[in-house]
Amino acid sequence: MLLAVVQPWPEGKQPTDAVLMERILQRDSGALEALYDRYGRPVYSLVLRIAQHPSSAEEIVQDVFLQLWRSADRFQISRGPLEPWLFTMARNRALDFLRLKREKQRRREDSDSDILPSAVVRPDPEGDIDQSRRAEKIRALMTSLPEAQRRAIELAFFEGMSHSEIAAATGEALGTVKSWIRGGLLRLRESLGEASS
Amino acid sequence: MNCEQLAALYEEYALGVLEGEERAELEAHLARPGDQCISGVAQARWVVAQLAHAAPDAQPPATLRGKIADAVKPSADTSRAAVPIEKPNSSEPRAIFPAWAWVAAAALALITGYTVRQMNSQNEQLAQLRKQMKLATMQNQALQNQLDLDRMVAMVMMSPDSVPFKLMPKDKNMPMVHAYLHPHMGVAITADQMPSMPSARTLQLWFVPKKGNPVSIAIFHPDAAGQIALVAPVNMPMTEIAALAVTDEPAGGSPQPTTPIAWMAQVN
Repeated sequence: MLLAVVQPWPEGKQPTDAVLMERILQRDSGALEALYDRYGRPVYSLVLRIAQHPSSAEEIVQDVFLQLWRSADRFQISRGPLEPWLFTMARNRALDFLRLKREKQRRREDSDSDILPSAVVRPDPEGDIDQSRRAEKIRALMTSLPEAQRRAIELAFFEGMSHSEIAAATGEALGTVKSWIRGGLLRLRESLGEASS
Repeated sequence: MNCEQLAALYEEYALGVLEGEERAELEAHLARPGDQCISGVAQARWVVAQLAHAAPDAQPPATLRGKIADAVKPSADTSRAAVPIEKPNSSEPRAIFPAWAWVAAAALALITGYTVRQMNSQNEQLAQLRKQMKLATMQNQALQNQLDLDRMVAMVMMSPDSVPFKLMPKDKNMPMVHAYLHPHMGVAITADQMPSMPSARTLQLWFVPKKGNPVSIAIFHPDAAGQIALVAPVNMPMTEIAALAVTDEPAGGSPQPTTPIAWMAQVN
């Protein structure tokens, strides 16, 4: 026959996230695969860091992309970029897994609204830098932080701990933990601001 | 606090570390449509999400991409992947594929695509309904279990053969716990206005015999409303029981009490 599978978009010209999300809404599985090719690796890295277990991380990442497929209509590109939305969704799912594992509590029936993050807006949409440069910035910033401050932020982000839980885990005063995290996040905000300007 | 004062907390909120009054105050702002904090927190979420890049780089398994693709295949619009890649050469005779054949093929593809989408939509609705039914069944089962338990507690409490006891708290701020001892049906325990307990701790009921060590009867937690209602079997003759006692133990209970008695009633 004269019908065949073709490249869904011209070679060398990558569609934007917004275009891919639009095509996912039209049930184009190729668009989901393209988004996986773009974000699968950083999402897997994040989930593996939180879940600490490769087969669980694989399951969670699969869940995240299937959630993206099912809930594409809930994502509005006008309200913010896809990447942090995807990271937030992956982090929420991985932390749920971690809490479940730790507390051995019965898994509740997750509704879509439990995992889908709220609006995520890039502060300076016009001045965004590319993903790899931003990743380098974040790694450099984390490395530059004093060990205890970096540890406090990692406990919060990768292990989902609150101020008081971090204070209990590290044996530091609550006020100290708060000021470490506040200071670290301020530097993160400033660093990303500088990077995008 | 106003929005300007709360702005310093946006990233901490997005990170999930904020607690207590600060969190409650910010969430009150977020609940107000149009509040300045809403856009501030949305921007903070972007900043915090960038911390994902601090995770060590890891290569996902090569099979993962295929698993995801396979999983969405049943709900994908397969007609989108097939498009003509060769145009009939205008210099060639057109008789092989006349125009009406192309129109018919296009119409067929459209109808197929529409049917597939309709089926997918119906399948999704069906899956949603199944999920809701499962949830309703679970809720129904939980209610039934609660009802059965309440019925058992009521039977023990109302039986003329039951002997009521008041377990007095050592801490005067704590409520009293009621026990109803029945020689065959067991011991029913009820209480109201109990404070919530951390998940790492549990309450444990003991029979204190006239001779020997306390015997564990049950472990329990107050429910979300601070109520306790349970029935546990009596595993020794009632005449041998000197007292009923409750202690605060690590989750899962202890073979013997590890903390001072928190509630107690003399039996014999």
